[in-house]
Parts: sequence; structure tokens; C-alpha cells
Amino acid sequence: MSKLKLSGVSKAYGATLALRRGDLEVEAGEVHVLIGSNGSGKSTLCKIAAGSVRPDAGEITLDGRPVHISGPQGARALGIGIFYQELSLAAHRTVEENICLTNLPLKAGLFIDRQALSARAARYIALFDGVAGDGFAADATVGDLRADQRQLVEIMKALATEAPILIFDEPTSALDSAQVERFFDILRGLKAEGRAMVFISHRMDEIFSIGDRVTVIRDGETVATSRIADTDQATVIGQMVGEPPARAAQAAPAASAAEEAAGEPVLSVRGLTGPGYSDISFEVRRGEIVGFGGLHGQGQSSVLRAIFGAHPVSAGEVTLKGERLDARSPRAAILHGAAYVSGDRSRDGIIQGRPIIENLTPIHYLRQRLVLARPAALREKARPAVEALHTRFAGYSHPINSLSGGNQQKIVIARWLIDRPDVLLLDDPTKGVDLSAKNDLFSLIRKLAAEGLGIVLYSSEDAELLANADRILVFNGGQVTRELAGDERTRFNLYRAAYEAA
Amino acid sequence: MNVGALVRQPLVVALALIVVLLAFGEWLSPGFAAPQQILRLLIVAALLGIVAAGQNLVILGGREGIDLSVGGVVSLSAIVAGNLMSGADSGIPLAILGCVATGALFGLFNGLGVTLLRIPPLVMTLGMLGVLQGLLVVIRQGIPSGRAAPALSQFVSQPFLLGLPGIIWLWIAIGVVMALLLTRTVFGHRVYAIGSNEHAAYMAGVPVRLIRIAIFVLSGVFAAIAGICLLGYSGSSFANVGEQYMLPSIIAVVFGGTPLSGGKGGYTGTMAGAVLLTILQSILTTVHIDESGRQMVFGATLILLMFFYGRGKAMRA
Repeated sequence: MSKLKLSGVSKAYGATLALRRGDLEVEAGEVHVLIGSNGSGKSTLCKIAAGSVRPDAGEITLDGRPVHISGPQGARALGIGIFYQELSLAAHRTVEENICLTNLPLKAGLFIDRQALSARAARYIALFDGVAGDGFAADATVGDLRADQRQLVEIMKALATEAPILIFDEPTSALDSAQVERFFDILRGLKAEGRAMVFISHRMDEIFSIGDRVTVIRDGETVATSRIADTDQATVIGQMVGEPPARAAQAAPAASAAEEAAGEPVLSVRGLTGPGYSDISFEVRRGEIVGFGGLHGQGQSSVLRAIFGAHPVSAGEVTLKGERLDARSPRAAILHGAAYVSGDRSRDGIIQGRPIIENLTPIHYLRQRLVLARPAALREKARPAVEALHTRFAGYSHPINSLSGGNQQKIVIARWLIDRPDVLLLDDPTKGVDLSAKNDLFSLIRKLAAEGLGIVLYSSEDAELLANADRILVFNGGQVTRELAGDERTRFNLYRAAYEAA
Repeated sequence: MNVGALVRQPLVVALALIVVLLAFGEWLSPGFAAPQQILRLLIVAALLGIVAAGQNLVILGGREGIDLSVGGVVSLSAIVAGNLMSGADSGIPLAILGCVATGALFGLFNGLGVTLLRIPPLVMTLGMLGVLQGLLVVIRQGIPSGRAAPALSQFVSQPFLLGLPGIIWLWIAIGVVMALLLTRTVFGHRVYAIGSNEHAAYMAGVPVRLIRIAIFVLSGVFAAIAGICLLGYSGSSFANVGEQYMLPSIIAVVFGGTPLSGGKGGYTGTMAGAVLLTILQSILTTVHIDESGRQMVFGATLILLMFFYGRGKAMRA
């Protein structure tokens, strides 16, 4: 009998179906791996089990009895503990306080029993003795720790719940190999105690080293559950891709006719290193679209922002049009001819509440060193850029917020087209953009490439990359691990490169 | 525009309240709304309005922008002007130069503190106010307070053109310049941009720090100009004459439709707000409410305004 079983659970956020039909069966004494691409619904499924998301439909049973999980407190009472991917630590408190945060030992039912707290925390800190690194101590403030150390605290906090069922949502993403090895030893110990564990990871080697069974989830649906011993990496990737290996292995059609006609290099990056990425080298020719692929958050955005002067660089060099570009701010990069479009529109792109015309002109102001803003002249300048994207809006003086998300993003892109840049850096530009706007964007991007721009495109949607990029650099753990060109640009190869060990 | 939308326009609300308050004043004390009285009210409103121009820019620039030091700059400027002209018309150009430089300097300190040292504007300008108040005490002990030049007094209170004194024309000119600055210059668009989304503005190449420093410098300059005019209005300067402008300058801006969160609004509404507050102040004086009572009313008005305009959306995005 299964320890924990979720059958047919679903969850929609507004019109977005995050989870269509999730099934998961976890047995006592096993490590059950959950795998799927970005946005496939893994995290939603885990959150439903942990009570922080309420399902719209479906059934959950614990030891064969149907249960209702009322919330995180309820889940804890039922014996379900979770490690969250987004760290949930109190930055200003110490390591030991954070470990015991979910269940503080009390004296007289009111005061915190410091001795009991230290003693209990010490048990979990000792588990990672020798691999936790310098500066890791029971009384260290969590905010002062490194990312991997904070992740260890989060693991200890999950372990300290002593729950019979433990869910780990990407617990190893920041850990080094010794820490991962120790964590796996601990998991094996818990397995021997008969605890049930759910483990989410994107690293194939880890999955095959610690997992007993694996459940693949794709587009919000559970696709298959198999014993690790009975499957292999290619099969699992094939299940994630969702096409028979033969079809998934087909190369995408030649993305752009400019492939052979590509001009001289316009952007060249050598050994670029900084927080979140290291030793990145590549070259972009005029007329070429270079894709950045891989799992979400493997350094793609950091590299694009670093080139644009909006993310720190510690080593390496960027050359734009043959000239060294050490952009310390976006301002400097823009003046050299770089353009950057972020997928996080509301943070990096639109100037909320302001008229459309003011959202179109900031780059023009800077590149032309303007002092006066003459509305009629500016509208004339902006019109071709706006029309090239088929942007629909009532008038230039209407606030940007009156537009749909797709049209807002078109305005943000159009601001770069009044004065042509040489290099266009696209950082997941179609996030939250409707289908027709996406089509408009990509036909424009291909047209710009044909007109001689060098384009770097990072997309979290593999289909966009395969359809538009001439070459794809696959990022893994902050480095480029594979370059796919020509016939190698297949969905299968892209997945395999993204999920293999860093 | 329908009636419902119209009454939500801060400028319309302010103008309507001006009429209502004038009628109420006339009812309380016949002659309150006589032409000569209205002219006197406008002169007083111009002083407040000029201070509020700088305050308006600081608030538009967002990131909790506020300038609490304007009152201190007004006082200091009045003293500097009084001493540099010491009752002689020939001293006016030097006085103007000296005051504008003084105001710009303190504005520069505020701007550098807010941008380079990342001190919140509330704290930075409050600290600057403390410095200015201390400075004023020291100055009062060592230097005579100084007198206004006759030409300056005339400029503020005697008819100059079409029966209106020079200060009214100055205020109108500032109104036109502010409107052009905000809508027809790159600087103005950048002020709005950093006020509504500083990060997006930075990513679009806006020199965020430079703009913010310029905003505080302009606030200091406007306060200094108001200080010179105030000297002309009262004849001689005394310490802390400017103190009364801190709270009203903020209220005038908010009344005029610029939310404290910044990024939208403009100066026309602020001008109406300044007139409105001046009439309110005059009514309070008419019914014999003293300075402390007026301060309480102003404080309560600001809180009430925040409640009224804050209901639509949270102040901090």
C-alpha cells in the first residue's frame, strides 16, 4: 500500500492550467524522483501535497485513507514535510533558530527553551559536519551565509520536521558534489528507517544515483512512472519530450536563410565570468540568431545582463563591432549599440502609468542626446517601429497599462528600433505574451537578423529556440556545455544536453 | 468625460473647494472675498507655490521622495538676501545670486546623500533641516537680520502689470516653465520615468542618479527664490520664517494630484493646491485660530488626503 497517493489532482490559476492531471504514488522506504521540464507542474504537485496550494480536483490518500490537507499546518500534522525551492529562511536569525523554526521548543508553554533548541539543532548540523564549509556554525546569521550553506540550512529545517513523508523540491541546485554526496547518504539512512521521500532534480546523474522510482510529468500531466532499474536516461528524456525518439530527433528546419550568408562577427565574448556564470565564450555574426538554451536559471539571463552592463563581471571581455565593451551600466552599453529586452516586463521594461509615447522614446533620447521632447516629431520617429510590430493601440498619449501584455512588450521592443542597435539581446522576451504577439515578435526578429543585426535569444520555450535560432548554446550550471548547430538542433538533443550532469 | 470621472480629477476638486472656501469666508466675515483681499491671498499663495514647485519635482521623482528641508532653506535664503542687499536696490543681483547658490548647494547635499549614500529622502532632508535650524541660530546671534531693498518690496506687493504685482507674474512664469519642463523636455520625461519605474528607467539608459540630484538641487533653488520673495513680503528677515512652508508645500502637491508615490501628476494642480491652502489658512486666522491650531489642521488635512487619495491603490507599489 502506498504511503502517499495523489490521484488526478489539478490546479488552475485563472486561465492558466498549472496542473491538468497529476498522479503520484510514493511508498514508504523509497526515494521517488519527480521530473519534468520548466513549468510542467512538478512544483505545483509538490505544493498541493504540502498543503500550500489547494487543488481544484483530485483525491489524496495517506496510508490508504482519503485525507483533506487544509494548509501547511495541516500537512505537517499529517506528517508531510517539505523543502522549498524558493528558500523560506529568516535571514536575520541564526542557523539553529531557523532549523527549529517550524517547531520551537518551549518552556512553560511560553518562553523559548534555548538549551533544547541548541541541542535539537546540533543533531542536524552534525549531519553535514565537514562539508558545510567555512563560517557555518549554529550561531551564524543565515543572511551572512553563502547560497549553498543557506540551502543546507533549508535541508536541515526540512529534516528537523522528522516527518514520515519528506518532499525535496530541487534541494541540490546550489550544493557542491561533496555536499550532494553527504545529502544522499542521509537520504539512504532515512530510506532504511522507512521514510517516504519525493525528490525533484534536473540532474540525470543524481536521479539515477539516488532514485528508486521515477515519475515523469509533462504539460501538467503525469506521463509515466517506472523503476529506475528498469529505465535509462534516453527513455526518461523521451518521455519528457513527449515524442517518439525518431521524431524528436528530427532537426528543426533551417532557421534562417541568412545562415550561410552570415556576415562579419559583431559581438564576441571571451571567457566572461561573474556571479552565476563562468568562462562563457561565443561569437555572434551579423544576420545570425544565436540561441541560449537549457534549464531555467543556468546563467543565461546573467550572461545577457552582464553584456548589457546590468550584472557584475569579474573576468573576461566583450567586443562589440571590434571595439572593447566594458559596460558598467546599461547606459554605456546602449551608447555602444547594444539592446536588451527582458521577459520581466513590469520590472525591467515598462514605465507604468506613463503614456505610450514616453515608453517608446527613452533610448532615442539617449542615443540622439536630445534635450527637448517635441511630441509630433517623436510620434513620426516612433511610427515605423510600432507599425513593424503590428502594435494595436488607441493613441500615443494613452497609458501603457491600457495595453495587453503582448502589446506592452511590443512597445518595449519598438523603443529599440527607432535608432537601430547592432546587437539585440533577448532575455526570454515572450514570457506571458499571447500567441499572435509571439508570432509578430519572431517574424520581426528574423527580419531584423536578415537586415544585419546580431541577435542572441534566450527562451525558456524550447520550441521557440528550435524554430528561430541558427545555433543553440546549451547552458548548464552557469557554463555552456554543448553547442547544437545544423542537424543537431533537435528537441531530444536539447533535453539531453540540458539534463545531463553539469 | 462624465461627472463621476470629473469629480475624481484632483485639479477639479481643488478648484471647486477654492470657490466653496471663498464663499464660506465671505459668509464668516464680509469682505473676505473682496478683490483686494483675493490679491493679497494670491501673493501669499505664490510664496507657498514657489516652494511647492521644488517639492513637486522631488515627489514626482519617486522612491519615497520628499524634501523636509525646504523650510530651512527658505529661512536661510531670506537672511542671506537681507544681508547681501541690506536695504539697497543695488544689492539685489548679488542677493539673488547668493541665495540661488545657497539653495542649490543644500539641494546638492540632499541629492548626493539620497543617491550616493542611499539615505532615504525623509531621513536625509530631515537631517538637513536640523543642520539648517542650527545654522540659523548661529547666524541670528552674529549677524543683523538684514532688510529688504525697496524694489524687492515693491515687486512683491505693488501692482506691476495689469494690476498684478511682479511676484504673481513670476509665479505664472514658473507655472509655464514647470509645465514645459515636465511635458516638453527629456528631463521632464525622465523625472516621470524614474518616479514610476526606476529600474526600468535604468535599463533604458536613464541617468537615474543625475536626474535625482538635479531634482533636489532644483528644490533648493525654488526654496531660495521663495526666501527672497518672502523677505520682500515681510520687509525684514527673522529666523525660522520659512518653517511654516514644510508641511503646506507637501499638502499642496498632494492636493494637486501628485501622489506621494511619485511618477504622475503635475504642477498645475499644485498651484491650485497652494491657493486652496492659503485660503484655508486665512479662514483659520479669521476665526482666531492661532499658529499651533493651524498646524494641527494642516497635519490632519494631509492625513485625510492620504486616506482619500490612497484608497484607490496602495501607496507603495
